[in-house]
Amino acid sequence: MPLLSTLILLPLAGALAICLLPSERLARWIALAATVATAVAAAPLVTDFDKSSAALQFTENHEWIPSWGIDYGLGVDGISVPFILLAALLSILCVSVSWTAIRTRVREFHAALLVAETAMIGLFCASNLFLFFVFWELIVVPLFLLIGIWGGPGRVYASVKFLLFTLAGSVLMLVGMITLLDVFGTLDFRALAAGHEQLSGTQQAWLFGAFLAAFAVKVPMFPVHTWLPNAHTEAPTAGSVILAGILLKMGGYGFLRLSLPVLPEGTELFTRPMLVASVVAIVYGAYVTLVQTDIKRLIAYSSVSHMGFVTLGIFTLTSRGVEGGILQMINHGILSGALFLCVGMIYERTHTREIADYGGVVRKAPIYCTLLALFCLATTGMPGLNSFVGEVLIISGAFEIDGLLGALAIWGVVLGTIYLVWLFYRVVMGELNPTLEGKSLELGAREVATLLPLAIAAIALGLYPECVLSYLRAPVAELLSSGVGP
Amino acid sequence: MNGVTPSDLALLLPELILIGAALVLLLTAHRTRTTSVGTTVTLLAAIAALWAAGRVSPDASASGFGGMLAADGYARYFRVLFCAGLAVVALLSERRIRETGIPRPEYHTLLLLASVGMMLAASSADLLPLYLALELITICAYVLVGIRVERPLANEAAIKYFLSGSFASALMLLGISLTYGLTGTTEFAGIASSLAADGDGASPLLICGLGLICGGLAFKVAAVPFHAWAPDTYQGASAPVAAFLAAGSKAAGLAALCRVVVAAFGPQAEVFSTMLAALAALSVVLGSLVAAAQTDMKRLLAYSSIAHAGFALMGIAAGTAEGAAATMTYAGFYVFMTLGAFGMVIALGERGERVDGYRGLAAQRPVAAAGMLLFLLSLTGIPLTAGFTAKFSVIQSAIHAGRTELAVLAVLSSVVAAFVYMRVAVGMYMKEPCEPEPARIAPTVCLALVFAALVTLAGGLFPGILDSWTVAP
Repeated sequence: MPLLSTLILLPLAGALAICLLPSERLARWIALAATVATAVAAAPLVTDFDKSSAALQFTENHEWIPSWGIDYGLGVDGISVPFILLAALLSILCVSVSWTAIRTRVREFHAALLVAETAMIGLFCASNLFLFFVFWELIVVPLFLLIGIWGGPGRVYASVKFLLFTLAGSVLMLVGMITLLDVFGTLDFRALAAGHEQLSGTQQAWLFGAFLAAFAVKVPMFPVHTWLPNAHTEAPTAGSVILAGILLKMGGYGFLRLSLPVLPEGTELFTRPMLVASVVAIVYGAYVTLVQTDIKRLIAYSSVSHMGFVTLGIFTLTSRGVEGGILQMINHGILSGALFLCVGMIYERTHTREIADYGGVVRKAPIYCTLLALFCLATTGMPGLNSFVGEVLIISGAFEIDGLLGALAIWGVVLGTIYLVWLFYRVVMGELNPTLEGKSLELGAREVATLLPLAIAAIALGLYPECVLSYLRAPVAELLSSGVGP
Repeated sequence: MNGVTPSDLALLLPELILIGAALVLLLTAHRTRTTSVGTTVTLLAAIAALWAAGRVSPDASASGFGGMLAADGYARYFRVLFCAGLAVVALLSERRIRETGIPRPEYHTLLLLASVGMMLAASSADLLPLYLALELITICAYVLVGIRVERPLANEAAIKYFLSGSFASALMLLGISLTYGLTGTTEFAGIASSLAADGDGASPLLICGLGLICGGLAFKVAAVPFHAWAPDTYQGASAPVAAFLAAGSKAAGLAALCRVVVAAFGPQAEVFSTMLAALAALSVVLGSLVAAAQTDMKRLLAYSSIAHAGFALMGIAAGTAEGAAATMTYAGFYVFMTLGAFGMVIALGERGERVDGYRGLAAQRPVAAAGMLLFLLSLTGIPLTAGFTAKFSVIQSAIHAGRTELAVLAVLSSVVAAFVYMRVAVGMYMKEPCEPEPARIAPTVCLALVFAALVTLAGGLFPGILDSWTVAP
């Protein structure tokens, strides 16, 4: 069985098995087995992948819809591999963190989770726009259900808002996609990129706008980010992890797969506005984060700011900026995933997300606080931890374009340090909040094991970022040599 | 015109099977009133007719009755579709008509005859048989809508449908007579050649006549502004009848409209495609927006069917063979996803007819809720369901014809429509049940739902599945 199809079908098979077997206890084990098996099956992406080549590897192509000229085409390059590995890892952690947190409709929950994993991995494996779009839309359904069924008090509003925002963006992508199909007769990413001269400047500008609508909502960019705080806050922990860890990356990945290589003229036209929107997201997002009183909402808003760094990096169109942007997506996936896991774990014990209800947690849960400290510091951009490298690359890329952009981005980093350290201070330090008296807050072995892989990844990527960057070098160089770029 | 020859009758074999079944049911009505014979006979007749209609080669171009009826690949597609739809409706009706005391043989006779009308409408190559076929559908449908005479709502629905239907028929007749007066023919091919001979200077009166014909057909399709009857009629009619109207009658209107526009109005394609594009735009926008305000499930599906009519018209508005094929695909998949959604309404009984009746369904009946979710996702147009394939096809034809703005308008309205469908899904999955569990779903209804769900899934997973069937007129 070909590798990529296996990765896509394994979670789906797990979901089917869960649907067919009536046992709730078994559902958790099947989900765990399916996610672990997927991660293990992904090993050849590390061992057999040729990092020096920018070509698609592990390709599969089967005729699917001949009348539309669309194939079932899969293939990965250095940009997609880190995302697939991240998705596989986070899925396991999602099952693990839900082990005791989800008590109602356990089978449906895990089935939805596994369908989401299929969609995530499928999206990063797709070698044509049609399949990309299919998975892009497919992931919305399980997440809609995850937020709406197992979420917090405002879950219904949050899930419908999430659904409508993402659909509003993606229907325009549908029109853009069909226009591309009409012009090229194929939707293969490579073929589109090779033939981009066939599109006039005006066409490219319109198409860029259409795809921007879809990608910007998912990233999310300012000003279409308003679904994010609701969705992230109300979602169950596993849902937040998938949203922050993978879903937000789909937009950035879309820019890299489609907008930059296929619509270089459109990209050039939009570069300035995109850079400005990114910096606004960084600074505005950081200021809004500062005033949040709900831990989960705070981390959600911080994502707006951090994803601003990602789009800033991508639209500098310099190799440093783009590589930094991709690295930062992986970093953010690890760290925001970890922070949401941390919040979810303590919420399970205290049932409150208000910062004011915490304080002095370190006295009762030293291991938890150590891990939280690590993730907070990593997110602020502490040297030696993973975000540092990404932010340095992005900011140096920004300085190449415009000093002001770089300066504002640095201001965003400063604000990021303030809100995270302040959060840590209010939750962890000081006297123990009397309401926490008598509660056991320390993590169990399962929870430590859930956070540990992310902690190791944060340190490893901080000390040796080359393990991701080496994947990116060849494809990013190719991306910037054809069409876009300085 | 020569007399009817045996080969003419051979062309009509599928219709004759259905008519035969209808006659058998009528003649034995006094014996079969309390048994399920009606359902069985209808089902068998539908399957036999489906086989007879599907036997024709897709690239056949036979015509009969002096060129009035065409038994080509286009007719074949729709005849098979209507037979399959009839079978599904017969299955869906079984439990409901028994419980509500609807006279069973008569009900099935009317279903059969209306289906004959639909099949003839798809094969007509002349305005007169087309008109007769449409009248056959409509008259059967008037009775079906009001068949529960004891319910005032049903009577109201039937009267409203009858009044606006007669008005539409009158418009169409006026259009036919104008056309006949100016071109001297009612044959599609003849009208086309006379339009072609006129070149750009086609008489405004003729355009007017053809416009009236389109208007009459737009009534069948329930496209805005000829849609007002649909919500009231669907709401008042019993659910299986509403399903039959929403799926079959609408598809028949599309089939007739598509053939008329392509085969007869071809030389004046520009004028009619602009007109149809306007109808399409109005339908998608209004249908989606008004659906959001509904609390009655049948009214909601009525407005949703208006929006879907708009989508389907986009293919015809493209005025190309590709566009016609897209509309055919749309009609085909639309029939099954609508029958599926209405099937769930029927399956849940009284509870299914209210939007808030779906609250908590997922906790009580997870499989039924999952089925409904599939149909709702398909109606929304989410990939890997037939609804997406259908939307993709018509949007593709619109863009190919240079109507990108129509495509953008339609997809943006579909976001509003998504809100409508997801409101039901939210109720099913995210609200607590506040009503007792619904009764067990009848096995016949189950069978119909499983079939509709399979078509919906197959159409999404293998979008090319209908390609060899959709032969433009």
